[in-house]
Amino acid sequence: MSPFHFDSLTWPWPIAIYLFLAGISAGAICFAVLLKHFKLGRDAYKSGFVQAACLIAPLAVFAGLGILVIDLTKPFDFWKILVFYNPTSVMSVGVAVLMVYQVALFAWLACVFKEPALSWCNGRWPVVEKLFSAIAKHEASITGFLVILALSLGAYTGFLLSALTTYPMLNNPVLPLLFLVSGLSSGAAGTLLGGVLLKGNPDGKEVHFIHNIEIPMILVEIVLIFTFFTGLILTGGQSQVAAFAAIGEGFWGWIFWAGIVVVGLSMPLAFNLFMKASSKRKFSYVAITASCSLIGVLLLRNFILYTGQMTVA
Amino acid sequence: MSNSRRLFLKGACAAAVGASGFTIATAKGTAGSDVEPVCNYALVHDETKCIGCDACSIACREVNQVPEGVSRLEIEREGPFGEYPNQHFRFTRKSCQHCDDTPCVKVCPTGAAYKDPKTGIVSVDEWKCVGCQYCIAACPYQIRFINPVTKAADKCDFCKETRLKEGQLPACVTACPTKALTFGDITDPQSQVVQVLKSAPSYRTKTDLGTRPKLFRIASQSGEIKL
Repeated sequence: MSPFHFDSLTWPWPIAIYLFLAGISAGAICFAVLLKHFKLGRDAYKSGFVQAACLIAPLAVFAGLGILVIDLTKPFDFWKILVFYNPTSVMSVGVAVLMVYQVALFAWLACVFKEPALSWCNGRWPVVEKLFSAIAKHEASITGFLVILALSLGAYTGFLLSALTTYPMLNNPVLPLLFLVSGLSSGAAGTLLGGVLLKGNPDGKEVHFIHNIEIPMILVEIVLIFTFFTGLILTGGQSQVAAFAAIGEGFWGWIFWAGIVVVGLSMPLAFNLFMKASSKRKFSYVAITASCSLIGVLLLRNFILYTGQMTVA
Repeated sequence: MSNSRRLFLKGACAAAVGASGFTIATAKGTAGSDVEPVCNYALVHDETKCIGCDACSIACREVNQVPEGVSRLEIEREGPFGEYPNQHFRFTRKSCQHCDDTPCVKVCPTGAAYKDPKTGIVSVDEWKCVGCQYCIAACPYQIRFINPVTKAADKCDFCKETRLKEGQLPACVTACPTKALTFGDITDPQSQVVQVLKSAPSYRTKTDLGTRPKLFRIASQSGEIKL
């Protein structure tokens, strides 16, 4: 049994990348909302970090959906998922959430970038002006619904897998929460990395704000991973077999301990703890910490997807 | 500002309550409005009679035009147990169990996987299937596959589109030389399948998952006892 090919494997790595991209999109937009609401206000669009989050959120969700469509055995029939709905199917509900999420996302982006967009238009198209001000009138409601939809999207990626009774490791109530929290932390990391790449100040108030949230978020993630595997082991039977197959010896055990626990969780946590909120930050520090988090979350998605499918109930 | 926020929170809560109420109501509705099935087909595989000759799987491939490399029906062989001249094999059938409570139908996003309300047969609408493979992952018996010709999910349908249409028994049942397979309606107390099930103790696999499979097995007397 090789780590990437085994009989019970149905969904390979493209699905893990899709789960990663959906999570990072939901997380990035949540942090853009937080930054605008608590730190930046009307000038939010000038911040490199908000710009990065607002680029990541739509691009990641489009790329994820693209991967999803290509991964179908009948890619040209993808529209049937949009036409036929089955309310008992998590995937069906998730597709509906994804569609509404994209509408709310673009409505919110219009609110944030209203000023620069209108000054670029320079009064050439009165229709655009009307549209923007009509959307901006409802900014409070749009923001609220966007946050709810983003959190739903982040949890959905977990529910998609936890609905599978076939695989005892995936059929686990902690999984949606774990995916939501790790998705949020990947969104934070993506925002930081993109922000400093877009010439954002690595010692700006945005970085300090996100880093303050990052420490408790990593701690929650560690608790959730611990709960996830303890729950599996205490359940016994095939759940226990699945847990030990995943975090025991072998390729995926290495990925878990070295990739996820050390690089993805401990290193960003250590960097954040040693670098106090008051100290001065450099580009390299922010970029390395964020990259470690992103690598960790990407590995976590692959690890859960592959090891989850290794053991059948 | 605080007023509009409160208004929004109220609205969001109302929407959440409404959505969850609707979900519960429709879930109950589908559970209650089940049409009385005309019949409920089941299959018995008598492992004490099966000799592992594969006549069933070959007949299935021919009748249902199952392409090479994939199969709707396989006979798995365990053994040999014991020493010559008292050697035994154990043969088990691997095919769709036609669950009464179907994991594949529940997860299918387009409704391409469906349970025929008249016969209880679990089938796939080839046209509606987009090939997301969620049903393949959801099947605890791991018997679904992507048909390389149609690109849709495929599996045993008790020959619903081929032999049953002509009023005949499924191909595997007819082909079996030792009469190890019995097919019929379990709601009819006179049917042969009910007689066979009453005559010998049978078992089903993975019943703890609550899928209520309709592939019954009469356990082979040879073979090992596993803990």
